[in-house]
Amino acid sequence: MIALRQVTIGIGGRTLVREITGEVRAGEFVAVLGPNGVGKTTLLRSLCGLRSPQGGSIVLDGRDIAHLTPLERARHIAFVTSDDAMTDALTVRELVAIGRFPHHAWWEWNPTAGDERAVNDALDLVKLQPFAERPFATLSSGERQRAWIAMGLAQGTPIILLDEPTSHLDVRVAHRILALLRDLARAGRTIVCVLHDLNEAASYADRLMLLGCERMLAFDEPARVLDPTIVESAYGIAIERLDTSRGPRVFPVL
Amino acid sequence: MPPLRLSILACIALCACATSLLAGGVFIAPHVVLAALLHPHDGTNATIVWQLRMPRVAIAAAVGAALAIAGALLQGLLRNPLVDPYLTGVSAGAAAAIALSILAGIATPWLPALGFVAGLGAAVVVALLARRGSGIDANRLILAGISLSALFSAIVAFAIARADSPDAAQQILAWLAGSIAGRTWSDLRFALPYLGMGSMLAIACIPALNALRAGDVRARTVGLDVDRAQWMILAAASLLTAASVTLAGIVGFIGLIVPHLARRVIGSDARSLLPASALLGAGLCAVADAIARSIIAPSELPLGVLLAFIGVPAFLYLYLHQEQRV
Repeated sequence: MIALRQVTIGIGGRTLVREITGEVRAGEFVAVLGPNGVGKTTLLRSLCGLRSPQGGSIVLDGRDIAHLTPLERARHIAFVTSDDAMTDALTVRELVAIGRFPHHAWWEWNPTAGDERAVNDALDLVKLQPFAERPFATLSSGERQRAWIAMGLAQGTPIILLDEPTSHLDVRVAHRILALLRDLARAGRTIVCVLHDLNEAASYADRLMLLGCERMLAFDEPARVLDPTIVESAYGIAIERLDTSRGPRVFPVL
Repeated sequence: MPPLRLSILACIALCACATSLLAGGVFIAPHVVLAALLHPHDGTNATIVWQLRMPRVAIAAAVGAALAIAGALLQGLLRNPLVDPYLTGVSAGAAAAIALSILAGIATPWLPALGFVAGLGAAVVVALLARRGSGIDANRLILAGISLSALFSAIVAFAIARADSPDAAQQILAWLAGSIAGRTWSDLRFALPYLGMGSMLAIACIPALNALRAGDVRARTVGLDVDRAQWMILAAASLLTAASVTLAGIVGFIGLIVPHLARRVIGSDARSLLPASALLGAGLCAVADAIARSIIAPSELPLGVLLAFIGVPAFLYLYLHQEQRV
């Protein structure tokens, strides 16, 4: 379980979101939403220890994340992002195998049978096994996204954070990835995922965290968060809500 | 597959070193070299082989291996294939110190040690200028390395211009051109501890180099202490480069080209890339030194100059070929 206790986040002295308090439970799929530049990615980076919050604390299973070593954090939390430039000509398998780094001491260079199993399982889960020996550079956007997710899965952590895993993807691939994340949550993994599409998030996530106006506007079930008043205050545009058999959907009023 | 390829590279490096023993001012037949190796105190040929050629071949191989490993380390750290070991400012710092020492009339035996200390000092200054937070910023490192090297080059040019005798200017130029002429076992003994330390550090950096292949951010997310890894990699590369500058002056292109070649042969996994780079660097440098001392015998071509003649076309070919493939 990750607990946020009055967490304030920002970049370069500028505060983005103040005093977020809440808990993400084990086996839960939480989608983090909000306008561009509101601090969603910064929050995710703080959750995995890449960035220190300006205030408050993030507690992982009773321990302040700031007191964990990088390796301890990496054995609990995987962070999947696609915004880091990569120039090396790695194959998909080599990339995914890097996820096993936290399970080795520095003198243990060779992969164990457990590593091979974890890498193969991860490739199977994202359906990239046929691409395993291909250079990463030759993959499409959707395949690359799945490769990043496989690397996070191979890390074998109970918590996986994902930064916009469906950006640049067509609706079919985006659906497959979100369904995979939901299945992982059902299997016991904790998923925290930054998304932009409110309806996509409402379809798959157990709870939505909506950020805006330098604060957390809501952190609740989709039906409660997708209240036009709350969504309008986050995005500053008029919103219309439609309740369907598959749950609430919201649309901008044109 | 990598063990087989590494074994082949080891054989090639050994053959290169063995061939290098035959070449020089006078060609010595293989059976004579073998006899001299088996009977170290028996005749002129044994003296030539043990006192002149063996130290040169060993030093050439050590310099080639050290520069190639340093190049592979820095290219891995910065994920920039155009980086070479002299980016750290080691060579320029050493050259400036040696040029000033020659100008001041300091005895020749002290020059390698002075160059080593100054080279490492320059690397420390470059690293401090490149520091960002507790880690190293890649762009700052490149900028600091280039800027400081330009400053040190100006000092060398000043020293040459102010040299009282043509001999002093010649001595400075010989350092700049890179050469193993006149080096002995004692020079290798001086550099060996630093080569050893640099190599041990490089070996300790292998898991970090592999994690960094996925990018800095991802390396952090899988638990690598990137800041510490950066300092370790830089320290290893600086030690290896400083030791090689002490032994051979400025020998260009090995640190730039050999890691490229090694990557083509064996891939980018640091477990095989570092030994492959070391073997290729050792073999190439040993062969180049043999050519340098025999092609215009009894005179010698500076090793650095010869490697530039080979290195520039090779680098351009590799670079353009890669561009076409992309």
